Amino acid sequence: MNLWLRNNAWRHALVIFVCLFSLFPLYLVVISSFNSTGSLRLDSFIPREFSFANYKMLFTDPTIPYMTWVKNSLIIAGATAVLSVTIGSASAFAFSRLYFKGRKTGIQLLLLVQMFPAILAISAVYVIMERVYTFAPSIGLGTQAGLLLIYLGGAMGVNIWLLKGFVDSIPKELDEAAKIDGASAVQTYWLIFMPLAAPVLAVVALLSFIGTFNEFILARLFLVDMEARTVAVGLQQFIGGQYSENWGPFAAGSIIASVPIVAIFLSLQKYIVNGLTAGSVKG
Amino acid sequence: MTSFFTGKVSFAIKLVVVLLVSAVLLTLTQSAFAQKEYFIAGFLAITIFLLILTYLSKISIPLKFFLPGILLLVAFVLSPILYTVTMSTYNYKTGNIVSQGEAIEQVKNRGFESDANGTSFDIKIGRYEMQEAILVSDTINKAYFISTVNNRIPLNAADLTINEYGVAESAPNFETLSDADMAKADELYSLKRFKYQDEYFIALEGFEVGVVSRQVLEFDEAKDQFKNVITGDIYVNNGRGNYAIAGSPDKYLEPGWRAPIWFENYTKLFTDKRLRGPLVSVFIWTVTFATLSVLTTFALGLILALALNKPIRGRRFYRSILILPYAMPSIMSILIWGGMFNTEFGAINNLLGTQIAWFQSALFAKFAIILVNLWLGFPYFYLISSGALQAIPSELLEAAAIDGANPRQIFRRITMPLLLQILSPLLIASFAFNFNNFNLIYLLTGGGPRAELDGELAGATDILISFTYKIAFGNSIQDLGLASAISLVIFVLVASISMYGLRKSKVLESFE
Repeated sequence: MNLWLRNNAWRHALVIFVCLFSLFPLYLVVISSFNSTGSLRLDSFIPREFSFANYKMLFTDPTIPYMTWVKNSLIIAGATAVLSVTIGSASAFAFSRLYFKGRKTGIQLLLLVQMFPAILAISAVYVIMERVYTFAPSIGLGTQAGLLLIYLGGAMGVNIWLLKGFVDSIPKELDEAAKIDGASAVQTYWLIFMPLAAPVLAVVALLSFIGTFNEFILARLFLVDMEARTVAVGLQQFIGGQYSENWGPFAAGSIIASVPIVAIFLSLQKYIVNGLTAGSVKG
Repeated sequence: MTSFFTGKVSFAIKLVVVLLVSAVLLTLTQSAFAQKEYFIAGFLAITIFLLILTYLSKISIPLKFFLPGILLLVAFVLSPILYTVTMSTYNYKTGNIVSQGEAIEQVKNRGFESDANGTSFDIKIGRYEMQEAILVSDTINKAYFISTVNNRIPLNAADLTINEYGVAESAPNFETLSDADMAKADELYSLKRFKYQDEYFIALEGFEVGVVSRQVLEFDEAKDQFKNVITGDIYVNNGRGNYAIAGSPDKYLEPGWRAPIWFENYTKLFTDKRLRGPLVSVFIWTVTFATLSVLTTFALGLILALALNKPIRGRRFYRSILILPYAMPSIMSILIWGGMFNTEFGAINNLLGTQIAWFQSALFAKFAIILVNLWLGFPYFYLISSGALQAIPSELLEAAAIDGANPRQIFRRITMPLLLQILSPLLIASFAFNFNNFNLIYLLTGGGPRAELDGELAGATDILISFTYKIAFGNSIQDLGLASAISLVIFVLVASISMYGLRKSKVLESFE
């Protein structure tokens, strides 16, 4: 007993304490979402009320286009994830496997560019897209298409870099063998590399998806229309803007938006963690 | 399967796709060119050229792979960076946004004065002989006329409908505006100058009053200066985006234009006292915040990893709970924490039985930020520390134990140094990330508390990037030039930190 105490009890005590720390805000959101008073106050640890009013409000109140926000977020983040991985993996393949003049300089430049925090160029992006709007209103400032393009460009650096690291780890013998058998570079890419890389591509796409889903400031600057907003921007307005501190629906809204992300994250945590340590920090 | 990549069908599909994309881009190029956006038009034209060259000829196989990625990078990352560099050398702020040509035009449009008596008339806007015109009623002299930009047509009071105030409502051949026209009236009428006499014209003040005015500011294109014809003041181009009176730089004409001022935005960071003070304190807090964030998250993560580095009961269960804060979308978590720190309605005061106004005091706000960031960040370091602990060869630890080292010595002399070596690139990356952790600051405290009334530029918890954002998109003056200069300074700092980290992880050496 004494030995068990010395060896394991402190571990349990510490870990349980930290678990409570990590669960506390989440627990609070869950009970607030079922509470119709609309504050993040903790009156008792056991909820006294169990009402679906907040959830109902999100789906029925015509002034809160919550479902549209979710749809916008899914479309923008989904498109960014799929397109950036498709385009990025081709570039990564070229940088890793094909030899051409200026490859080394290209890689170094890519390394430098992917270090540039996108947020630093935000005023430039804003001014450029304002100008684009004057001749192409459908992809300029204030449009989801424009935002998507910016996300795509921004994701490119990190994604090419991450994927290049992965392609480097695939044994060269494989594509050399394919080459001897007469395969062209394009064939090697589609028939050898793609099937091998599929799981990694999925993880990088997922990381892109989560990153984009979490992006706030560009979306906030870009999407002015109520109907065009993403879930992050919409929910922030809930408690900051015109609804003033309306925590009930906010809590319900964040739970609906977070549950799928959390579920995906937990089920794929092993792969995601590998992907993270290979590259950058979660944004 | 292989024939799919070489066959005629695939070439046809490729041809169609490339041509379609090119056609869309070509339309964009044309409209960009029409709007005089020559840089964008040029970029689009080069894009089309490269697309066709790459995919419809056999010029280079690697190019086929990386062209789309590179084009996106150039368009949305590289060119904004270059544009930031350019903006940082310009006087580019509220009041100096437009081009020089537009600024001159606007100064001219605004550069008139009413006559000495301040004569004004009641007017109606409308059309006369298909031209924009005003129906003017001089109610004192009982005189009426229609005035267009070039002509003044006297009217006979007997032909008019005049209301009880002596104002003409309608006149023959004078059409009043339809509702649809009224919507566009501001654009059509507000800048027009309607004929009066000699150098005088009638300018509109709203849609019902016209003021007899004359042009006071005259532009001399050859000398690049404005002259005030009444006072004789000369406003010269001061080389910084304004026309100002030589010798008294505070007397300048509005608006100015964006003009190159080279390194002034940079030197201002060091010489302008109003800016230097906040900048220094913001910088100190940024470094403190990033350091404390890395230290606290790493410490907690590592302790947890050590505690769970043994197959104790419930380890998998604990692990899933511990990474929940990391799995949750961070935007939502930050906002939730913001609500929890609310003075009256927040759970924290509620739980502690206190009434602390967390975000009103600099110290409490800073504490809250570090605590929230600890919550957000410790699972990451827990995950990677557990991974790193497992990567340490057990032979090393066993050998040390055989040599008689106690567990504490093993940890301090072997485990810890090895861990730090494995994790240092990630610690540095985390520092660089927190250095620019805009979302946390912006959504939790908004950079506050800030004594706005005392004219403070930066709040107590503003980090460099949130301060820069305030400068660029703030409520009062938006200074894009200055914001760009600060952004680039931040980039140099962060890039050096990241480069140092990469060198540590030896990524650079792996280039062939």
